[in-house]
Amino acid sequence: MKIGEERRDGALIVAPSGRVDSVSSSELERALVGHLGAGESRVVVDLAQVEYISSAGLRVLLMTAKKLKDADGRLVLCAMPESVRLVFELAGFVPIFAIEPTREAALDRLGESGA
Amino acid sequence: MSVDSLHLRIEPPGEDPYTYDSRSDSVVVGRSSTADVHVQDRYLSRQHARLFRQGDGWYVETLSAKSPTVLNGRAIGGPTRVAPGDVLRLAETVVRVAPPEGAASPAAWLEGSRIFRSAATMLAAAGGGAADPVALERQRSRLAAVNEVHRALAQPISLEALLGLVLDSAFAHLGPEEGALYLRRQDGELERAAFRRVPGLEGPPFQSRRLADEVVGRGLAALVQDASLDDRFAAAESILVSGVRSILAAPLLDSEGCLGMIVLHSRARVRQFSEEDLELLVSLAAAAALRIRNIALAEEVAERRLFERELALASEIQTGMLPKTFPECPEVEIAAALQPARLVGGDLYDVVVVGGRLWFLVGDVAGKGVGAALFMAVTRTLFRAIVPTAASLEDAASRINAELARDNDKAMFVTAFLGALDLATGQLDYVNAGHPPPPRLGHDGSVETVDAPPGPPLGAIPSHVYAPRRLGLRTGDGLLLYTDGVTEAENGRLEQFSSPRLEACLRDVARASPAEIVAAVIGSVRGFVGDNPPSDDLTLLVLRYRGPASGPPST
Repeated sequence: MKIGEERRDGALIVAPSGRVDSVSSSELERALVGHLGAGESRVVVDLAQVEYISSAGLRVLLMTAKKLKDADGRLVLCAMPESVRLVFELAGFVPIFAIEPTREAALDRLGESGA
Repeated sequence: MSVDSLHLRIEPPGEDPYTYDSRSDSVVVGRSSTADVHVQDRYLSRQHARLFRQGDGWYVETLSAKSPTVLNGRAIGGPTRVAPGDVLRLAETVVRVAPPEGAASPAAWLEGSRIFRSAATMLAAAGGGAADPVALERQRSRLAAVNEVHRALAQPISLEALLGLVLDSAFAHLGPEEGALYLRRQDGELERAAFRRVPGLEGPPFQSRRLADEVVGRGLAALVQDASLDDRFAAAESILVSGVRSILAAPLLDSEGCLGMIVLHSRARVRQFSEEDLELLVSLAAAAALRIRNIALAEEVAERRLFERELALASEIQTGMLPKTFPECPEVEIAAALQPARLVGGDLYDVVVVGGRLWFLVGDVAGKGVGAALFMAVTRTLFRAIVPTAASLEDAASRINAELARDNDKAMFVTAFLGALDLATGQLDYVNAGHPPPPRLGHDGSVETVDAPPGPPLGAIPSHVYAPRRLGLRTGDGLLLYTDGVTEAENGRLEQFSSPRLEACLRDVARASPAEIVAAVIGSVRGFVGDNPPSDDLTLLVLRYRGPASGPPST
């Protein structure tokens, strides 16, 4: 798994690629926990390049969303491929997360909540 | 050496060294002001030793009755010939015989008495080619010492005992005042693993970062007569506080590298080490290193075994948490199987009868390994504890969820399918917490997935209220609950077993008994997967409703 990172409009965009399974999710966890520890509060996770996500990967995203919420920040997910979307749906996770189709929409959503 | 002149370098304790060129055929060294070389060394005799020219060479003889004259680490008996580069020790004073003028000065002359040699080279040279009786005798005693260590090391021994034994042997054969064994830790830092000193010696143990760098870092054996290497005294105003030290150090070398070092030292006036001593220590250290490596490996294996034993115990406890038998109720036939991918896993199932209803749960904790196993155990315990006091399935699911979500910093969760089947009527209430919806196995042989839109997994959202759905089971209707280890089982071509294959398999056995259905699905998954090792736990629970029992309904 590779993890791309980018900053735009004061938000951090994290873009994992490949498989986010029980092995590689710990890598994503370390990266996200590191950013949260550094005080990052507006985070977008772009899932466009994710081929597969397991429940271990969902846990990392859920943990990130919870920590950000506790810190008055926000996590927005975007650009989910159909296969990833299906995993979210089957796990009952769709209503839990803020999910947008594109990065732009995700950044807009962060902008709203930050205003 | 030129016969005509004698160049000496005098190193008095606590004073700067200086050179002395003889103009006569005899030079007396002592504390007396009438000595040719007179030195302020309180342990020196007034007339301690004499260097004199005879024939074509220079000789040294001792004049002192109370303190020996030591040439290259050995006390001399009668007059002994000296050569360029030789080192004399008279009490705490060092006298070096200079190389002939014009010759390249060896480093030892310029830097004080420090000999650093490649331990590997010394080991390679040991044992070969000694012809003269003295050398042979030295070799014999060295072999005896090393042999002794080897013999002792042949017994089963702990690392701690081994290090003690090596130090004992070093004390017995080399007679230092203090000795220490250092081992390199995982992080590369040196750790003092064994330490010994003669009674009466006080103060903190000798240590020197510079010495460690040379010995451990570069694999050099060291023979040093110096106090300046000692970290404590490097900055001290006077080395008289401690006196000159004689230090012997050898790396613990084996073919894999350096494991640490052994360091011996003494006050120079008590014991001065020689190059022969250094050779012995190098051999001892090499013998010890081999065994230390073996023991370290053995202890690693033992630790891994202990961990494996604990994991096996955890596995047993976890297996013990699954129901071995199912509740005695004629209304429902039940069969189940759970195959963990590792020793411990995050899948679970449970079945209890409470209040005329059969309550069941199949779940799959996010992630794998020990963390998932602990969360599984908590989930199962909560299910058992909450169900008997639950007003409804909604109440049970919501309370289990709230408990799991509390203080859950890692956002662990468990996808689960929970149900409560009224044994008298076949009415089934169910909650899907992020789990694959189960196929319903109709009494007529039909296979149809139950409509069960997922809510969030248990533990994910603290205040979530689960709204149950309802389904009527007719006599002969069944339900197959499973975890995604079934549908996501992969074969060698990375293809998944998948829901269509599961449904196809179920159609063949839809009217069979629960036990037969479980066996058929497992057989089908195995056939598909082949030799590919499982990557996830696999759980199946099959229930078949056989209609209300005759007689009074169960309570």
